[in-house]
Amino acid sequence: ITILESYEQKDLESRINNLKVALKWYQDDKEHAFEAKAIDENIKLLQTQSQLEKDLNLPLIGLSLSETIHKCITSNNSGKANKLKSDFKIPDKRFWWIKLKALVEMRDWDELDKL
Amino acid sequence: MNHLGSTNSTLNVTTLRELARKELTSVLDSVRGKKCLVLDPNISSPLSLIAEFSLLRDHGVEKVHYLQQGPIETELRSLIYICRPQLQYMKYIAEHIQHHQEEISDNPNAQKYEYNLFFVPRRTMICQKVLEEAGYHLDFIPFEDDLLSLELDYTFKELYLDGDYTSIYYAARALMKLQTLFGLFPRVLGKGDCAKHLADMLLRMRREVAVDDPSSTLVVSQNIDSLIIIDRSVDLITPLCTQLTYEGLIDEVFSIRASHVEVDSSIVGPAPQKSTKKKIALNSGDKLFAQLRDMNFAVVGSVLNRVAKRINDDYEGRHQAKTVAQIREFINKLGGLQSEHQSLRTHTGIAEEIMGVTVTPEFNKSLEVQQIAGVDVNTQNDCIEEMINRQVPLIQVLRLLSLQSLVNGGLKQKNFEFFKKEILQTYGFEHLQTLLNLEKLNMFVKQVSTRNPYAYIRKSLRLIVDEVEENNPHDISYVYSGYAPLSVRLLQCVVTKGDNGIKNNGWKGYEDVLRMLPGKTFDEVQRKEDSVIRPKRLIQGQQPRVTLIFFLGGCTYTEISAIRFLAQQDDGQREFVIATTQIINGNSLLNSIMQKNEHPGVTAGTL
Repeated sequence: ITILESYEQKDLESRINNLKVALKWYQDDKEHAFEAKAIDENIKLLQTQSQLEKDLNLPLIGLSLSETIHKCITSNNSGKANKLKSDFKIPDKRFWWIKLKALVEMRDWDELDKL
Repeated sequence: MNHLGSTNSTLNVTTLRELARKELTSVLDSVRGKKCLVLDPNISSPLSLIAEFSLLRDHGVEKVHYLQQGPIETELRSLIYICRPQLQYMKYIAEHIQHHQEEISDNPNAQKYEYNLFFVPRRTMICQKVLEEAGYHLDFIPFEDDLLSLELDYTFKELYLDGDYTSIYYAARALMKLQTLFGLFPRVLGKGDCAKHLADMLLRMRREVAVDDPSSTLVVSQNIDSLIIIDRSVDLITPLCTQLTYEGLIDEVFSIRASHVEVDSSIVGPAPQKSTKKKIALNSGDKLFAQLRDMNFAVVGSVLNRVAKRINDDYEGRHQAKTVAQIREFINKLGGLQSEHQSLRTHTGIAEEIMGVTVTPEFNKSLEVQQIAGVDVNTQNDCIEEMINRQVPLIQVLRLLSLQSLVNGGLKQKNFEFFKKEILQTYGFEHLQTLLNLEKLNMFVKQVSTRNPYAYIRKSLRLIVDEVEENNPHDISYVYSGYAPLSVRLLQCVVTKGDNGIKNNGWKGYEDVLRMLPGKTFDEVQRKEDSVIRPKRLIQGQQPRVTLIFFLGGCTYTEISAIRFLAQQDDGQREFVIATTQIINGNSLLNSIMQKNEHPGVTAGTL
């Protein structure tokens, strides 16, 4: 279980690899279906983040999913945010909270009005 | 309040302080000449309760440094280190020595350094391998006349998560020391697996002492009638609730360390130029605080108001003074009046600051969720979900979720997975480990059976009390405005008198409830092998009995308040002395088991 210590790894490549090892461990064990799924999602997130980092030129790796969405909106990339929402099956309720917070932060009242 | 004056206390803990001082000075004297003391930052504040700086100076300490990374600059040639046996410290010390050696090799005329290293509470094998050392035993730190603490910060995590039992050993040794000072505890009761370990170890240690030195047989204690060990794992609900007593709230908002609290100095006095931190000692030496500490926060305001009025009246008293004698009398009073005034200002400041926190919607929301715990799960879940969505500090969310899980015997499968997913996606995937830890500790689990032990316990021990008078409490439930801490209720079971009115019947009559709680229950009687000397305590009935309570894994300030309240109830028939491994609150409890986060921002906040 302590393979999760992979978080100490600085560079992305080895971090993902470490997580993959952890994933295998959990997949072998039926008791930990949830954990396996979570790690799988984490890997997916890290990969998406590195892609987004290239596209948007923003430091994203290490942030949580919600924070990533927040960043996307505040940098005027609502499209990306919406994509993340559907990719990771985020409940509407939470998505709107994030969006609301981000828009208020930007003082984007027009966009806020549209909601 | 009889627990506050040391003269009234049957069990004189100053002996303990004296002993600790004596050991400390002998450690210091073992090194000749002027020396520099290097302290583990975690130890320095407990140590200051034992010895003030002047005492250190009398024993040749010229300078005090904190042990931290980086070279140490001092012209003094002999260094004394006092620290906890932790690897990271060993590395620092090794670094220092290396640094000094380089210095010496640069300059062959330089005088050599001399090093001495002392470990608290004892050395461990691993540190021994890193360096050569000697040991200095510092265990129970007396905080108050009725409160002792080992100040081991992570016992809960070590015991229940890592399965590391070293702290049980420390605890047993410290209790053994108490036994040599005050006599054998005639009866040892407890609840919980780790508590059982501790009791067994204590009995074994006593036998070992008897074997090693047959002449030094311990006499059964005259005034301590029993030791009650309560395992933190038995009652995890209490620390997770937000504390509502004055001292408890100070701990929740500012966090108290070794009975000192650090607050912004603007709170306690006229605003200074720049905002600095000020350390305030919180103990019964401050009369006002002694009066306030155990009260429910709801009444603190009115008490402060009353005291302010009284002090004002006293000041006004000078106009009445006509004769010289009267004036002199007033002047004599003035000193006390001024210090009282100062402490009034301090506590008004602190109370105002706390008030600022308690009126926030977040605080009230989470209180509400706690109050209806176990009543309406759905509204509760909505509240928690909203909290996650608003990204309040994770620790608050976890506190509420764990509380809900404990109270309801787990969460429904669907909700359980939903919350886990929400948390991971909002606060980061690295918290998977935190969630696993909580599951392992049975603090956040999915429901397995519909039977809920807590409901039964709540009923039979009357944990929820509807009518509470915070102004004039008659039950311990006042501390949480309606919830009586489970741990203290258990204690009440043991000490309340049976029907015959003379003997306390231990766990008798409460077997059903105890079976519902996790961990073993035990009740042992300690006697001298040769019972020539009959225990005298049966004869001398006029002296109040003392019960020692040991919390393994930490206790909260609110529990302490509740126990003090119990002590006052019995017309001084019984005194309680509380000993604990450390003092905790919900945040420090969860913090110790949380996965450390590398990016700051969404980590622990204050509540």
